[in-house]
Amino acid sequence: MLDLAQIYNGYYLEKSLLSVMPEAVLIVFAFLILLAGLFNNPSKNSVNSYYLALIGVAFSFLYLFMLSDHTIKGFYGSIVFDKFDVFLFTAILLSGFLTILMSKNYFDTRSVLIPEYYSLVLFSVSAMMLLVSSINLIMIFLSIEFMSICAYILTGYLKGESRSTEAAMKYFVLGTFASAFLLFGSVFIYAATGHLSLYKIHNFIFEQNYNAHYAYNLHTFLAIGLILLLVGLAFKMSLFPFHAWTPDSYDGAPTPVTNLMATGIKIAAFGVFIRVFTSIYSFNVFNFYNILWILAILTMTFGNFAALLQTDLKRLIAYSSIAQAGYILIGVIAGGYYGISGTLFYLLAYVFMTAGAFAIIIMFENLNLASVNIKSYSGLGYKYPLAGAAFSFFLLSLAGIPVTAGFMGKFFVFSAAIKSGYYWLVVIALLNSAFAAYYYIKIIVKMYMSDNNNNGGQLNLSNGRNSIIINAVNTNKDSQSYADNGSGKTALTEAVSLKSAAPALIIAIIICLIFTLILGIFPQPVISFASRSVTSLWSI
Amino acid sequence: MSIFLKYILSIIIFFPLLSALILVFVNKKAEGLLRNLATVLSLAEFAISLFLFIYFKSNTYEFQFIERFSWIREFGASYFLGIDGVSLFMILLTTLMTFVSLLSSYKYIKDHVKEFVILMLVLETFMLGTFASLDVLLFYLFWEFMLIPMYFIIGMWGSGRRIYSAVKFVLYTLAGSLIMLFGLITIFILHYNQTGNFTFNLLKLYNTNIPLTLQIVLFIAIFLGFAVKVPVFPFHTWLPDAHTEAPTAGSVILAGVLLKFGVYGFFRFAIPLMPEAALILTPIILVLAVISIIYGALVSIVQKDLKRLVAFSSVSHMGFIMLGLFAMTAVSVDGSVLQMINHGISTGALFLFVGMLYERRHTRLIADFGGLAKKAPIFAALFMIAVLSSVGLPGLNGFVGEFLILVGSFKQYTIFTIFATSGIIFAAVYLLWMFQRVMFQDITNQKNEDFKDMTLREIMTVLPLIFLMFFIGLYPDVFLSRINPTVVHFVNIIEHNKYAYNLIKAKMGLFNA
Repeated sequence: MLDLAQIYNGYYLEKSLLSVMPEAVLIVFAFLILLAGLFNNPSKNSVNSYYLALIGVAFSFLYLFMLSDHTIKGFYGSIVFDKFDVFLFTAILLSGFLTILMSKNYFDTRSVLIPEYYSLVLFSVSAMMLLVSSINLIMIFLSIEFMSICAYILTGYLKGESRSTEAAMKYFVLGTFASAFLLFGSVFIYAATGHLSLYKIHNFIFEQNYNAHYAYNLHTFLAIGLILLLVGLAFKMSLFPFHAWTPDSYDGAPTPVTNLMATGIKIAAFGVFIRVFTSIYSFNVFNFYNILWILAILTMTFGNFAALLQTDLKRLIAYSSIAQAGYILIGVIAGGYYGISGTLFYLLAYVFMTAGAFAIIIMFENLNLASVNIKSYSGLGYKYPLAGAAFSFFLLSLAGIPVTAGFMGKFFVFSAAIKSGYYWLVVIALLNSAFAAYYYIKIIVKMYMSDNNNNGGQLNLSNGRNSIIINAVNTNKDSQSYADNGSGKTALTEAVSLKSAAPALIIAIIICLIFTLILGIFPQPVISFASRSVTSLWSI
Repeated sequence: MSIFLKYILSIIIFFPLLSALILVFVNKKAEGLLRNLATVLSLAEFAISLFLFIYFKSNTYEFQFIERFSWIREFGASYFLGIDGVSLFMILLTTLMTFVSLLSSYKYIKDHVKEFVILMLVLETFMLGTFASLDVLLFYLFWEFMLIPMYFIIGMWGSGRRIYSAVKFVLYTLAGSLIMLFGLITIFILHYNQTGNFTFNLLKLYNTNIPLTLQIVLFIAIFLGFAVKVPVFPFHTWLPDAHTEAPTAGSVILAGVLLKFGVYGFFRFAIPLMPEAALILTPIILVLAVISIIYGALVSIVQKDLKRLVAFSSVSHMGFIMLGLFAMTAVSVDGSVLQMINHGISTGALFLFVGMLYERRHTRLIADFGGLAKKAPIFAALFMIAVLSSVGLPGLNGFVGEFLILVGSFKQYTIFTIFATSGIIFAAVYLLWMFQRVMFQDITNQKNEDFKDMTLREIMTVLPLIFLMFFIGLYPDVFLSRINPTVVHFVNIIEHNKYAYNLIKAKMGLFNA
């Protein structure tokens, strides 16, 4: 195969470019989409930009694959492309890919500008990848800003809807606040150590640890800097006290964007957190492990309790994603080879199960079969056996029941934590996941076990309301009329629903389903992939 | 044939899953076809599992029919199957009970037949996998997923407060299992710290040297997971609800197989992994077991609902099994394992009869029945046999198991055994009194006048169980001879550890009384 790194070896600028090749490809395609918007007529635009976006992601994958064996440092050591990136890029690109697949069907039924949407998605995906590969505090700040600005716009993309605008506004204000914290933290760390590169800071702290004469005020600066940096990153990871934006913006954003925020942004945030954590925080300075320990417990406990009270499905998943962040954090705290590879595995598993759940929500939302209110899901399991079974499977995976990716991820992370001696943390996390099972099961109860007599009426009500708000596609009328006839025509309704749901959406669901199952039953290849990619973290 | 025997455990485990896959492609309108196909496939499964019985070598405690493939190298987990004398009969019990419960639900399950039979077959796969796996991670995978089909069976086809019961069942067992997972992972990590190898191989984990204090903590953690399943006294509250609201087939599987997982878990995992902690905590567990026996029996006496009565009698009977297991003599453990089979058969049969009563009269209240014996003589006769087997009449299976348990534990734990014996008397009280009120006396309720006797299918359903009641009661040696080597080995492990235990006891002055 063409070995790019070999050809460009020795040329500094080219090497720098090479280190961001997968991101650069996405940015090029994002601009192509915008350009194509100028020349085509509006009706064709949405289709073209959709395919261009998919091709862009495919090319990015291709470059990722071609470069996957190399470690390339670029831009004066502020960006690195290594094996750790390869794993996280795969996860982020998959998240972007699934988001694009889900978007088409969702936006076709709503009157919004399409081409800009796809280019924004590509921009934000490339920003996530940049974030993961940056090893310099300035670069981290720039990438986070790049990623956040795209996310703010995407959140408010449903122009007419007040919820969407409100979500974007909240996200923007709080996000800017968090970015300021991050920047302020970086400044303090720079003041204390005189370095911006993560690894130089790492070495500096390592040396000063044994230096009794290290100036006291610099020590304080370092402490303040580390705490502020943690706050800035915790915001993006939506850890407990910094989570307040999550439910509102997840709820108000268009559902595909919610998926991108819940999977892509979270992965990128955790990716950069792992980079920072394994370098700067690695000596347990100022007992940072204890702070994280408490954060993890608060995050999952709060997330689970709040999720329990929700009646809106998107909010429920938002809170549950806060809880999931708590579980993922356990892997980071456990640390070491085992803990970090567990975290990576969990992140990938999390992409598939969350994206799968969102894809199904979009499908029901699009067909006007159900609103995001949990009540409207009653009896859906009978009317749409396949979709219902798939949704249950994703929910069980989120709950961490075996045979699913979620279980393997939890198992991996928890055993790493026990290995590092965090017994109580694991006990609390396990109690939490038993507790969390309740609200996931609550949805399954709604789908399968509520009374059949009532839901016909309920369903029609929600149908009527939705079709006023949203221009229904023709096929919806069919499905509606079948729904009226009750469970007798389930097979027919299922056929109709599958036909009218865009094939892209179904492909997304099937991909998620297959990978959730494979990661749960035979995770060996992914575990070795994660383990191999972790080694590069400590070898720079 | 040799290849068949080499992979027979995998075949047995995954045949029901394959059957379920076949059934997915059958039109859901063809309910008769679905029912027949599922029943025939589960019968075929039972037939395949009989090969295990035939080719099982009864003179060794070593695991047989071993299969082993690498699964997750990073954790040292492998696809590791094998059975000994105990799991052999558990597997046979599972395949038989699944067949029986599928056969029993022709009339009871009216809607969503396709989903029902598929779930039953999927459930069977996971139950069999749990009994056959010797790899802890694999075991846990099968163990916990088993909840999901059972949850659907209770929640979708149950009666009354089915959703409440189903959710309660899942949350109780899930919480227990997750705490157990903590214990299992800790042992796994300890083994790694001692040997430098990650492994989930149970036979290797047996050699882990766990410090005593940690052993007690871990034993309690794992105890919670299994005790919820058994269920032992304070953890039993999910059982009456789940049993009462589940459809007949669900109750039969619950009583017949699912409850056995708890005891099996103690036998296979908890006690051999942490023998010293088990010995130290034995008095406490025995107290709980005896409380289960007496409490279950007393509560049974006052039940008005037939199914609740049988459910509480399960608590009582499972107490006997726990007593036998934790008395830890060869005879009592033999009896305990045999009683596991017996309880599956007898209580399964009782649930079948209650189910038939419910199908005919749509009520389960004892007060609504009376005088049925005149109208349905076959029903009365067969029901009587099941009741007597559960009471423990000599000549039927229940007697052998309970007798062995009591004889085995009498010498060591005299007082506990004396108290436990009262459970048998109470069993006679609540079962025979129930039988008298339901079957004898005059017909007081007009609706009972046209009570129909058993159909051929119903007779076929209970006949294998009735046959086994007599067979085990009259000639238990076929079973005991296969169970015994495994049990003797198990007891030897405990005896081996008793020396260390006595040292500790002397040192700590524990339980001097």
